[in-house]
Amino acid sequence: MDRPGLTDAPAGRAGAPSGGFGRLSFGFLAVSVVSGVALVPFYTPASAWDSLERIEGGLAWGFFLRALHAYSSFAVLVTAAIHIVQVLAAKTERQLPAGVWWRSVALLPVTVAALLGGFVLRGDAEAIAALAIWQRILESLPLVGVEAARLFLGSAPGDLGAAALHHAGTFTLILWLLTAEHAGRVYPDVRETVLAGLVSAALAGTIPLPLGAPPSASPAHLLGPWSLLGLQGALAVVPPWVGWVAPLELVVLLGLVRHGKGRGRKVLVALIALWAAGYAFFTVRALLVAR
Amino acid sequence: MFRTFAFVAALCAALLGLLTAAGREARREASVGRGPDRAGGRVERCVSCHAKESEDPGGAHARLALGCASCHLGNPLAFGKERAHEGLEREPGALSTVALTCGRADCHAREASRVATSPMLRNAGMVAVDRFAFGEIPSPDGRETIADVLAAAHPTPAQDHLRKLCAGCHLGTRRANRDDQIGGNGSGCAACHVARNLDEKPRRHPAVDSKVTDDRCFGCHSGSGRIALSYRGLVEVEKGEPFAHAAPDVHQAAGMACVDCHLHTDLMGDGTARTHKEDQVEITCEACHGPVREGGEKRWEEVSDEISKEILAREKRREEEDLLRKGKRGGGPPAAPDAATRLGTRGTPLINLLRKSSSSSSSSSPPSWLLVRKLDGVELPVKQTPHDRNHTLRGHERLTCSACHAAWVPTCDSCHTSFDASSSQWDYASGRETAGAWVEKPEVFSWAPPLLGVRADGRIVPAAPGMIFDVDATAAGGGRISRRLLTPTEPHTTGRRARTCESCHRAPPGPEFEAGTRTGFRGLNAAERRRVAAAWIDRVTP
Repeated sequence: MDRPGLTDAPAGRAGAPSGGFGRLSFGFLAVSVVSGVALVPFYTPASAWDSLERIEGGLAWGFFLRALHAYSSFAVLVTAAIHIVQVLAAKTERQLPAGVWWRSVALLPVTVAALLGGFVLRGDAEAIAALAIWQRILESLPLVGVEAARLFLGSAPGDLGAAALHHAGTFTLILWLLTAEHAGRVYPDVRETVLAGLVSAALAGTIPLPLGAPPSASPAHLLGPWSLLGLQGALAVVPPWVGWVAPLELVVLLGLVRHGKGRGRKVLVALIALWAAGYAFFTVRALLVAR
Repeated sequence: MFRTFAFVAALCAALLGLLTAAGREARREASVGRGPDRAGGRVERCVSCHAKESEDPGGAHARLALGCASCHLGNPLAFGKERAHEGLEREPGALSTVALTCGRADCHAREASRVATSPMLRNAGMVAVDRFAFGEIPSPDGRETIADVLAAAHPTPAQDHLRKLCAGCHLGTRRANRDDQIGGNGSGCAACHVARNLDEKPRRHPAVDSKVTDDRCFGCHSGSGRIALSYRGLVEVEKGEPFAHAAPDVHQAAGMACVDCHLHTDLMGDGTARTHKEDQVEITCEACHGPVREGGEKRWEEVSDEISKEILAREKRREEEDLLRKGKRGGGPPAAPDAATRLGTRGTPLINLLRKSSSSSSSSSPPSWLLVRKLDGVELPVKQTPHDRNHTLRGHERLTCSACHAAWVPTCDSCHTSFDASSSQWDYASGRETAGAWVEKPEVFSWAPPLLGVRADGRIVPAAPGMIFDVDATAAGGGRISRRLLTPTEPHTTGRRARTCESCHRAPPGPEFEAGTRTGFRGLNAAERRRVAAAWIDRVTP
């Protein structure tokens, strides 16, 4: 950590490291982690649905705490995505060494995996469906599929212990480490963290975070986590292995951007834009089908 | 500058959020129940609010044993009313959700699946006879159920007639879609197994049990053949009300309820769909009173009906509990596997018919039987049919018991039915009033000894004018129909004394009927009537 932190550079100017939203993302991550730790005592993976009901209805300010955790976590992804767009637009990707860049790019799928874990931990009808889809995607990984599914999702049906462990432990730890390496500092900026906390509190207070249908219910349409709706829409028409190939494709394209120059970079950015457009299309499709 | 503005804006938004959340927290705190939140050894937060004694059905379905959600669905883990009531079933037992309520795997799945074949759900006989009477099908047989009728996209006049006049009693018709007479009953399982408490104030959660009292049957079975009225000795003298009094059925006079005779297979089906109710009903007079048909009496260990065996085992447990608690045995079926039982026509045992211990009677006398009333446990001696002159009269071999012992039957000599296109009527298919109304204008309600008819199998049974009606269905797309049909009936007016010989042998010729409401069923033809009359003349002429 002797490299100067990127977040120390001035933001919003040509050639600057485009760190405004990156710093904010780190701040949201801090809020998410703190609120998540506060929720841990009230959550039991073996009775996930009951835990959610208890947090939401039986615990003083539990609904607020849960919403704070959820919105700050969502904001990590949103601000990180905006940060990536900023970086691509400002062409500042070369400010990071190649290894750090690739590991920073890996933050994107890790963030999504952490969010998916949080979604699954709800234990409601949609979470159960999402868990089954996640399992099928993991199982479609060549050679290691079944073991990977067991590693991340556990082997006992209905027990979300493994998912909870990876959500609160593995993914959070990796996120923090890689973010710290990317930002060049172990802790987030205080101002950005306070700002992230205020925004999260505003969202948590004004927009109630609904609970889904009970696990025994069978709603006509089940929606996955908002960040993966594009994948849900696509998986309706493509085989499960696309579920890991498509995200891998985005990660590789983003990683290669740092190595591309001139026209090659333009092609890579265009492919990323195309990927994003396709994802947006399938997101809209999934929402329309659900309506 | 921008950052300062962003901070101020975020601070204001956060304060607004916290204020909103504080309001929500106050509402949450107020809506949380304060009672215990467990029932049956599991989390059941419904009971933390629904803690009043009046909200407890008691018995085997007691609130603290089953909770609420086992029957009413909803979300038993929720703390607030709104979420707890999501997906609530206000009418447990309704057949559209029965697989999740009464018929769930760990409760009454077997019974719920059998109800799918119950005549009370299918009403196939009623549909077939009505459509036959309207001239829409060639015979009074068919597999079309009332559910098919209710789902018909373009109903025929008969289907429309059924949808507007008859479908209210269909077990699949929900309570909110029923008429006043049976509005107190739920649908599906609840129609029979939930006590009616129409007038009770304040309203209590009704009992849910297998002690099906007659008032639960009355609503549906007081129409059409009016057997529920007749059983009580009531005669409808005008459409609906009021009643005249005739002799009640001898079984009713002895305090017996419908369920004391009718077997579970008669009522809930046995897995085989049949068109007409008499094909479904297993119980016969002979099953209790003899002479017992071959194979009509078995030892309990030979009985194959699982439901009866389970009831027996339950009664046995209850009896042992009584013995422990009160130091005496209660009434109930015998538990010994070698004890004898009598059977319905398809082998279902009469669990409340007990063979009396032979020690008190001589070995030469025929065994005597007791009937235990299911609702109150009172034991009644069951008289066996004597092998005397009255019961062995030559020429009467084909008569069923009720041909002589059915004292009377309600009669409605004519019924003019018309379709009034300018009016409206409740349509059970759509659950609302729709254009067009079927209007019945009966002429004379009365009661008289039943007519006799000949079944396809040659047995002579009580009969009544079944469909005597003149229908003007032109406004409904049909035509003018005039039918004179005879229907076989079990009037449920059994008398200890049989009807007199003269009531048959010197009966006036009576009306002619064009057909029966069952394939092969007919009234006595002219030659048979002459023979009956001649038999009387032979008897009284020196």
